[in-house]
Amino acid sequence: MAHSPELIKELEGKVDVVRNNILRIFAGSGQGHSGGTMSLTEIVTALYFHHLKLDPNNCDWPERDRVVLSKAHAAESIYAVLPEVGYVPEETLDKYYAYRSQFQGHADRWCTPGIDYSGGSLGQGLSFAAGMAMAEKIHVEMNPPDLHISPMSYPRIMMKYNPTYRVFCIVGDGECAEGQIWEAAMFAGKFKLDNLINIVDYNKFCIDGPTEYIMPLAPLDEKFRAFGWWVKEIDGHNLLEILDALDLANRLYGDGKPKCIIAHTVKGHGIPIWENVHTHIARGESMTIGLKEGREIYGEI
Amino acid sequence: MAKFNKYIEIGQPAMITVGVEAGMAKVVQKYNNVVDVVEDTGTLAVDWFKKNAPYRIVECGIAEANASVVAAGLAAEGLTPYILGFTFATLGRAYNQIRQSILIDHFNVKIIGREMWGELGVSHNVVEGIGSLRVLPNLIVLSPADVVEAEKAFVAMADYIGPVYFRLESQNPMRIFTNDYPFELGKAYTIKDGKDATIIATGYMVTEAIKAVDLLEKEGLDVEIINMSTLKPLDEEAIINAARKTGAIVTAELGSIIGGLGEGVGALLAENAIGALVRVGIEDEFSQSARITPDRDELMMLHGLTAQDLVLSVKACISKRDGSKPRGKRV
Repeated sequence: MAHSPELIKELEGKVDVVRNNILRIFAGSGQGHSGGTMSLTEIVTALYFHHLKLDPNNCDWPERDRVVLSKAHAAESIYAVLPEVGYVPEETLDKYYAYRSQFQGHADRWCTPGIDYSGGSLGQGLSFAAGMAMAEKIHVEMNPPDLHISPMSYPRIMMKYNPTYRVFCIVGDGECAEGQIWEAAMFAGKFKLDNLINIVDYNKFCIDGPTEYIMPLAPLDEKFRAFGWWVKEIDGHNLLEILDALDLANRLYGDGKPKCIIAHTVKGHGIPIWENVHTHIARGESMTIGLKEGREIYGEI
Repeated sequence: MAKFNKYIEIGQPAMITVGVEAGMAKVVQKYNNVVDVVEDTGTLAVDWFKKNAPYRIVECGIAEANASVVAAGLAAEGLTPYILGFTFATLGRAYNQIRQSILIDHFNVKIIGREMWGELGVSHNVVEGIGSLRVLPNLIVLSPADVVEAEKAFVAMADYIGPVYFRLESQNPMRIFTNDYPFELGKAYTIKDGKDATIIATGYMVTEAIKAVDLLEKEGLDVEIINMSTLKPLDEEAIINAARKTGAIVTAELGSIIGGLGEGVGALLAENAIGALVRVGIEDEFSQSARITPDRDELMMLHGLTAQDLVLSVKACISKRDGSKPRGKRV
């Protein structure tokens, strides 16, 4: 499970690339969901540059791992990764919000290669991800794999070492106030969707203030556990912890439990002004100062 | 007895769900990717699924919001989910989910919404169904008139790739079509020709229209009936042709006259500056409980939707067209 220091160092370099790409996106649009985007930087980097099964030449590869960004307002974090993966040309970074651009205001499945879910209306992504995970199970039942082993010797499910694909869902903490998140949690627990990994970006802030004031979520881990999930809490800005948790979630495939990784993050992470005022959408002066600070810290592009 | 067009043979009332079940039985044979998404309101082709593919019944419990988005997720992976539920919950509760997760991405999800009528009361008697469906882009809305058309429309819905809403009304309409009736998605069918006025009806109201033309015939009026079984997209050509021919259009639907079939037809007539229009439907109000027997429907009488009401509306519409003093109920 241990990850080599070289890998961590390499990924830290990628985090800087992603962060600079996010700043470039913001600079082009002059506005963006800075808080929720910056809190996802490390998680998205760990997923796309190391963990996910994907084919840079074929964004529709049927066996690719799915990423469902339920908090689709933070699409900028994934947009920042897509040119690096090779799904879209680099110039697209400057076209966020533009008419007919591949980078729409909220993640859009048909406009952007590499986006699996059109979101925007919060609380629905986990259900969608559960549907995709359920479809994987149904497809296996419809076309059972030839395992060259007598079906009498072991139950077939025991022999399946890996799912055809995994579904990674990223939900925000604020949207956990939506009832549908818990409908989906119940659904995933019932159907034992162990190929579903839900990552909660627990950055502690909604638009109007702290989540503990808007709608208290604690104890979030016990809530998911009560619905039959495997739960792991991590520091969402520590690459080692992220990679370990994702690896563990993969290896536990077959235990019949959906996986939930609660990532404790900081809203607007890495940019002092956005961290301090928990900016949801940066625009105007907040954006100018944020970009200036970001470029001072992470270097000109 | 009025003279009807080809493929029409009026018979005894039959449950429309029988047609839906027959359609589903054909669909599961034809397509191997059908999934039943269930909201604790019954399952289509349940025996077939239990015997052949129990894993393709996805029971979501009483959680319509989750069920419709799970269906979208299944459709994204190449399966075709069929959701059966009550319109007030399947559509009303999950309206935003249907819009965001199913329609925006044009996922191949089929929604069969039961529109209740009568005993269950105001919670279940939906008046806003057609109106709230017609404004949604990317959606096909079907509303079959009888058991035969229900089966044909169901199979046609399966052959079309994309989201479809199938209105399943709870009344027992008369058997109207013969078994060789060629149903076509998006096309209206003229059940009876006539020169004095046109009734454009959908769903159960086609039955009432057929009763009404008999009454009108006794008064010497030859009235056309058009069955508008695809509510979206509307068959604009059929509507405009009828308006050019008779000039007096009466629309009939089981639902609010606001946003419904009547408004769709009305907009078209106004844009083309032709024809007089009377809309028959539920006025801007909610419904309530009522006892319904085969020969007496108190709720239809309360809302003014019976054949007798249609007769009055047709006469009012003709007066409107001719500029004479209106004698009908609704002016």
